[in-house]
Amino acid sequence: MELLNLAGIAGVYTLMLVILIAAVAMVTLRSLFHSALALAAVLIGIAGIYLTLQADFLAMIQILIYVGAVMTLIIFAVMLTEHLSHQTVRQNNRQSPLAIAGICAFLFCLTGVIVRTPWPLQPQNQTATITAMELGKAFMGQYVFAFELISVFLIAALIGAIVIARKDK
Amino acid sequence: MFFGLGVLRGLMVTLKNFVTSYFMPPDRGGLFTVEYPEKRLPVIERFRNFPFLVYDKDPENPRCVACEICANECPTKCIYIEKDTDPNKKPLRRPAIFDIDITVCMNCGICEEVCPFDSIYMDHPFEVASSDRLEKLLFHKNDLLKSNDYFHKIRPTHAAAIDARRRAVEEKKKSAAVKPSETGQPPKAQNGGKP
Amino acid sequence: MEILDSIFLNTKKIFLDLLGCWLPDWMILLVNIGIIIGVIAVLGPVIMMYLTLLERKIIGRMQNRIGPNRVGIFGILQPIADGIKMFTKEDIIPQNADKIVHFLAPVLMVIPALLAFAVLPFGRGMIPVNLNVGLLFFIAVSSTSTICVFMASWASRNKFSILGGMRSAAQMISYEIPMVLSVVPVILSAESLSTYAIVEAQARWSGLHWFVFTPWGLLAFIIFFLCGVAECNRSPFDLPEAESEIVAGFHTEYSGMKFALFYMAEYMNTFTVSALAATLFLGGWEGPVLPSWLWFFIKTHALIFVMFWFRGTLPRFRVDQLMGLAWKLFLPLTLINIFVAGGYHLISDRNFRVAGASAVLLVSFLLFTVFLNRKYMPEKRRYDLVD
Repeated sequence: MELLNLAGIAGVYTLMLVILIAAVAMVTLRSLFHSALALAAVLIGIAGIYLTLQADFLAMIQILIYVGAVMTLIIFAVMLTEHLSHQTVRQNNRQSPLAIAGICAFLFCLTGVIVRTPWPLQPQNQTATITAMELGKAFMGQYVFAFELISVFLIAALIGAIVIARKDK
Repeated sequence: MFFGLGVLRGLMVTLKNFVTSYFMPPDRGGLFTVEYPEKRLPVIERFRNFPFLVYDKDPENPRCVACEICANECPTKCIYIEKDTDPNKKPLRRPAIFDIDITVCMNCGICEEVCPFDSIYMDHPFEVASSDRLEKLLFHKNDLLKSNDYFHKIRPTHAAAIDARRRAVEEKKKSAAVKPSETGQPPKAQNGGKP
Repeated sequence: MEILDSIFLNTKKIFLDLLGCWLPDWMILLVNIGIIIGVIAVLGPVIMMYLTLLERKIIGRMQNRIGPNRVGIFGILQPIADGIKMFTKEDIIPQNADKIVHFLAPVLMVIPALLAFAVLPFGRGMIPVNLNVGLLFFIAVSSTSTICVFMASWASRNKFSILGGMRSAAQMISYEIPMVLSVVPVILSAESLSTYAIVEAQARWSGLHWFVFTPWGLLAFIIFFLCGVAECNRSPFDLPEAESEIVAGFHTEYSGMKFALFYMAEYMNTFTVSALAATLFLGGWEGPVLPSWLWFFIKTHALIFVMFWFRGTLPRFRVDQLMGLAWKLFLPLTLINIFVAGGYHLISDRNFRVAGASAVLLVSFLLFTVFLNRKYMPEKRRYDLVD
């Protein structure tokens, strides 16, 4: 059984490595379409991470919404605007050294925070279950106001999109 | 009546077709496919394919007299005829060589229409495909000669009509040969036999 | 009959017990998983191959001709001949095409189609993976095939491919929404997202407790099935890939094995959508006399026959009619359906709730078809003949 556990842990680390590589590819690839595909790979990887954290419903919803709907929209936008032939866009400009310095400072602060945290963390309440039924009860019980507010927000966005896209009579 | 009724009617038609194709006869909704190499549809009498030459009694005396009318009238010039000669170089009324190139012949039937001697008619067999163009797809006189009985077999009514006409011409010739001998005059020469 | 019912499970158990004498425990687990994966990996393509043969024979009979019957008796070996043809065709890649994406698109298209087999309950106790979010898993992975369509159309660098690909992707996302929403009353009624639990919720009173026999279930079944047909890009929704329309749309530039992979993904999607419709609404593997897996296959193949029947009968939709159907008819109907199903559960009087639900659904159907779709209903014309 230890072999299986070890294989499991190795798999999770491989998944994280794949996510990191896809994220780096997303910002450095020259073709915009390839970057969009790398973003889709990152999102699927994140769904995998949710699965390792026992959040099965959330992982499926992540794939359904992010990869199925949001990525489709992004790719529609990319395909409608990009020219058909090869685009080779330089991914860095003359201000690269300054940016690298800034990022190193940020990484230094982040590493400091990570090192000082007492790993492994214990969650607040161990008995919280993340099944769909519990989520539904929470939405309709404790967080109903936020839920209704979000739905009003979405309707406002939809109507706004229709108003913008409509042809003027 | 309701929205979508047309679609359901269409679906019922197809379903009826599907079900009746299994057990109904061909003219009432069944299958009318003839699975070709295993079963064949019989050809009708007037089916017109490559030509053949008719002989009455034996292959040495065909009806053809090598008049070359069919070779001249053929639109694609696929017929090649040479007259036979006896040992004294005098031409006989018989073809020595009668070749039809069936890669050129277009089965139009003009040779049959213009032949004055009822000797070339259109045959039925169509499965003559071969990969050997010079040997198998150039029909010689021996391949083309077929008997009158064969002609009756493939085209009964046509052959019966031709035979009746030839017999009528024979009768007229015989009676004309008999009659002048009663009146004492030499028998009149008849033209061909074509009505 | 119980012997026949669990014959596959018993065979696997006997085999694993035999192996367990001389293999450690964790390896037995791996062998178990390996057997399940192997069965699905073999079953998927074999089903797809014989579905192509079945389609050609059924459509042939509907058109008064015999389907393929030259290769093998009744054409049984025809899919193998097709497979050999696809393997040996030349793989042509356009010169300007994006090679990596062009290669990846068919590969990534087959993955969701095969993954969806994992949550189908093939029989009593025979589900490959009993996820407790099984239904959501199916819907989620089948929605990732939209990106693969985009990849295929973009990588071909062909304006008609891109046009076909965008139409196909628009169709797929438009029909996903009514498909997901029409399944919500089923989840409501079975109180679980697992496909196995949904079948068990229908298997209580044998036969009459299927979800299709309730008013909201019937409407949900029809909408789910039609949306499933649209998701698989099949007739009459096959505008993106019809040959007379846009020369096969997003898979124009594919030949040989890559086209075979697209073809395989389409037929496997057909099978899984029919199987899921049979599971959710028609009671899955439940039935009186025959073994459970046989009932599952009978129900699935009945729905597949209906899909082939549609292909043999109906002309295809125009693209605006296609979109109008999804957004203006199916989506409002599914929303009303959710409310009606909720009301159906709260009212306990049997006759009242059936009558009430049917009345509300019929009225809303007529309202939506008349008011929202008035443009597509031709008015009756009178032709007065002048004497």
